Amino acid sequence: MSDVVRAETISARPHLFALAAIVVVGLLAAAVLHDAVVLDLAFTLLLYAVLGQSWNWISGYAGNISFGHAIFFGCGAYASALLVTHGLSPWLAFPAGAAAAAVLALVTGFPTLALRGHYFSIATIAVAAIVEALVRTQDWLGRANGFELPIASGWGALQFGGKGPYIVLALALFTAVQLATIGLERSRLGYYLRALRANHAAAAAVGINERNWKLLAFACSAVMASCAGVLYAQYTLFVDPPSTIALPISIDIALVGVVGGIGTLWGPAVGALVYVALAKGVALQIGGSGKGYDLLIYGAIICLIAALRPYGIVGTIVDGLRRRRGAVEVGAA
Amino acid sequence: MPGRRLALALALVLTVTVVPPGAAPAADPPDIIIGSVIPLTGALAQSGAGLRVAQLLAQDLVNGHVSYPLPMVGKSGLPHLGHARIKLVFADSQGKPDQARAAAEQLITQEHAVALIGCYSSSTTATASQVAERYGIPFLNPDSSAPGLTARGLKWFFRTTPSDATFAENFYQFFADLKRTKKVSVKKIAIVGEDGLFGTGASDAEEQLAKKYGYDVVSRIAYTATTTEVNAEVQKVKAAAPDVIMMASYLPDSLLFMRGFKDQSVQPKAIMAQDAGFIDPNFIRTEGKDAEGIFTREVFSLDIKYRNQSVPLINQLFQQRFADKPLDGNTARDFMGVLVLADAIDRAGSTKPDAIRTALQKTNIPGNLTLMPWKSIHFDATGQNVGGVGIIEQIQDGKYETVWPFDVAVREPIWPMPVWTH
Amino acid sequence: MDALTTFAQLLAGGVLTGLVFALVAVGLTLIYGVMDVVNFAHGEFLMLAMYATLGLALLGLGPLLGLPLVVVAMFLFGIIVYRVFVRRLLAGPPEATVFGTFGLLVLLQGFAQSAFSSDFLSVPNPPFSGTIRFGGLAVAQANVVEGCGALILTALLFAFVEYTETGRAMRAVAEDRIAATLMGIDVQRVNGLAFGIGAGCVGAAGALLMLSYPVYPTAGVPFALTAFVVVALGGFGSISGALVGALLVGLLEVFGGFYLSPELKMVPVYLAYLAIVLLRPQGLLGRR
Repeated sequence: MSDVVRAETISARPHLFALAAIVVVGLLAAAVLHDAVVLDLAFTLLLYAVLGQSWNWISGYAGNISFGHAIFFGCGAYASALLVTHGLSPWLAFPAGAAAAAVLALVTGFPTLALRGHYFSIATIAVAAIVEALVRTQDWLGRANGFELPIASGWGALQFGGKGPYIVLALALFTAVQLATIGLERSRLGYYLRALRANHAAAAAVGINERNWKLLAFACSAVMASCAGVLYAQYTLFVDPPSTIALPISIDIALVGVVGGIGTLWGPAVGALVYVALAKGVALQIGGSGKGYDLLIYGAIICLIAALRPYGIVGTIVDGLRRRRGAVEVGAA
Repeated sequence: MPGRRLALALALVLTVTVVPPGAAPAADPPDIIIGSVIPLTGALAQSGAGLRVAQLLAQDLVNGHVSYPLPMVGKSGLPHLGHARIKLVFADSQGKPDQARAAAEQLITQEHAVALIGCYSSSTTATASQVAERYGIPFLNPDSSAPGLTARGLKWFFRTTPSDATFAENFYQFFADLKRTKKVSVKKIAIVGEDGLFGTGASDAEEQLAKKYGYDVVSRIAYTATTTEVNAEVQKVKAAAPDVIMMASYLPDSLLFMRGFKDQSVQPKAIMAQDAGFIDPNFIRTEGKDAEGIFTREVFSLDIKYRNQSVPLINQLFQQRFADKPLDGNTARDFMGVLVLADAIDRAGSTKPDAIRTALQKTNIPGNLTLMPWKSIHFDATGQNVGGVGIIEQIQDGKYETVWPFDVAVREPIWPMPVWTH
Repeated sequence: MDALTTFAQLLAGGVLTGLVFALVAVGLTLIYGVMDVVNFAHGEFLMLAMYATLGLALLGLGPLLGLPLVVVAMFLFGIIVYRVFVRRLLAGPPEATVFGTFGLLVLLQGFAQSAFSSDFLSVPNPPFSGTIRFGGLAVAQANVVEGCGALILTALLFAFVEYTETGRAMRAVAEDRIAATLMGIDVQRVNGLAFGIGAGCVGAAGALLMLSYPVYPTAGVPFALTAFVVVALGGFGSISGALVGALLVGLLEVFGGFYLSPELKMVPVYLAYLAIVLLRPQGLLGRR
């Protein structure tokens, strides 16, 4: 995808229809289904779709691949845990976590977004490692023990006995994120990001300030991930470093984005679908022996997708559609 | 008349032999479903596999008719429920808290488990037991040692295993006993632990009790378990010159520390380990003579003055099912956990959660009716078994020998530990 | 034990730690340099090499004797992985190599867990298990051997890249792939060789590491993470940079652990990375 840049912006209508359809299906499912397992899968799916899309903003659209995205997810999760254990409303975790995530993104992005390629990716690992080390050593952040959120019920406490309300919230977040991304595609920010990815030098020559626009994308991406973190904390009721900010979580988020298709609108959603289906499906079928066959299969599939469909699932489809339409292609080969 | 009698006899025979379906006198009562959340895949899969075998063994013994001096074994199911059989249904936690939550929910809502057992790692136990709390289903935790689990005010949570607090307490009881019997004195303690949930919990408990009992904590070191070197850590311990070093480490880091202590001639009177890396089968194999004299807390031992004769028999049955690996602390505790649940459900005489919970609260199993070196199984108001106790083993002649409590010990403790041989 | 001796001991420890990182990083930087490929499965290559060493040791061939075999095996493995897989990744967008090698990471870890279980396994009775003492300091023999191995490997690789025909071809490809093709260099062959040699280097690293570490499916991860930082610090593609970067990281880690805190000992390392990459983006000794 990075070597093909659209000259025209996408039309929003088909995507809005698709989004509306998903929302309707989701709401119906939440209202009608009572199978806790299926609803749990749906919630996980939506959460990962949001996380994948947030990652997509910086790694796909902006082109700076992040392997430390979990720290923003953690901002929301820890904000929630801290507020609740201090007797405050978890709803405050949305703005609080978002603020923390945005600040973290701006502070860490300012020096590193000027870097390209591997340097940035490793910088994200470095920053994430520093954050994790700090969390593990600070008492007020729970150290390794983390936090358990006390059981509560109701919209005020943002905790529910049934899964329905969680799905509704996750749908709302997903919708917001998708709408924002449609907006990104059609906005000046999106246009500049595409220009930067196509040709840094040319873009700079035209006066596009790479750092500032990427900082904006980075901060937005961090805020989205943080919101997902809040929902996660209120759902799982347990927050600790390994389950929220550790490297494997960052890797999972990146996987979702990449498998689906970097820099595409629906890539993360498809990636989340594949991820949840695979992780759950393989674990259920084969998992009992504890032998790691699920990892084996998962890895093989990623390798196959990488080797045969380098654009990710959605990327390949989009590319195919575009070639058939004979769209104008701009940018370096 | 003979014809009539014959007809009567025939009718009788027919009635007895050709019994129509549904008219059978005593139909088998439905199985009692116990949900088990354990790590079947992921990093802890190895341990999870053993736990599964141990739990299934207990299930089969409860449903079977061979008797052992253990609660509920050999009674062909639960007598007070018409000899209904217990059935374990497993769900994979993958070692992750959110998956454990989903697994617990699946077992409760889909499999209709009347009670849950699990989950080995403390963070997964935390979330799974919260689900049980919400649904009002009794949750029995046989193997997670984080002290905080019973401090949450949960009403449906019961834990049979001692917690890290108890294990740390055991160390200090051991020191007190040594002082009494061997006039040994310990003053300065260095506490070294990995910075994850396990190490932090153990180190915190050790430090807290050290202060309580008036010992001098000359060094407290936390490090990341995946580190590839421990130069600084060893130097810090050396500079503190402790009498005793308490370690909470996994295998690779324990090996690094042992190597470091030996090379840098750090010679405490004793190294007290909190299980984990120090009881890994690879530890003695790799360390060889350097392992002599290391103490480790344990929860169970096959080499102990048994109070219960079934220990070697259960071990044998377990080995047959699990590739000749012997029973260990984790598998023994999980085995007992299933028995405790079966005992409670039977005493409740019902599968209603409330009844089972009440029965659990009244559990009182004497220690010698368990495989464990415990005083008893009896839960306090927080759900913690107050009769639990750990043991302390010391590596002597390449084997782990129980040296404390003195009444179940098979060998005398060697104090101080042997000097490093170079 | 006075402060000066402690300092000297930490210094020795830091240098030896650094050399171990160099051992792992040197193969990685070659691959980076020539192909611009982030081999995220580098840690898993290391892990495979460690298992291979263990296997040979169990057959009676100790780590040092088995080392040449492991190097050759890993070299061949690297070439195969390149031909079958990495070459296809290079044909796609840059992200393809990232998540392709990442898929390889997951695949290899899963393979290791299925084939070898997650038990920790060590070479029985490894050689060099003693201690060397001099002037009040003590270092483990195994660490010294690993350190020497690192220096030899770095020197060999450096000589190869500087003075041999193939090495020159690699430098040409690293500098400008198109120009190199125009000059008649078979880029695919050079790439394959580079990948193979990089894997071979990591094979040597794995064999030496088995002198003092146990192997398990995720054993390569901590080494690989540090190696990525080392390579970026030293400059992608620079072999001498990898050595310098590694030593710096080793010293920072050990001194950080003592004078700051063991839990935070990697923080100075990562901060140093951020600082150097901010002030000198091509790394200490990098070219581009």
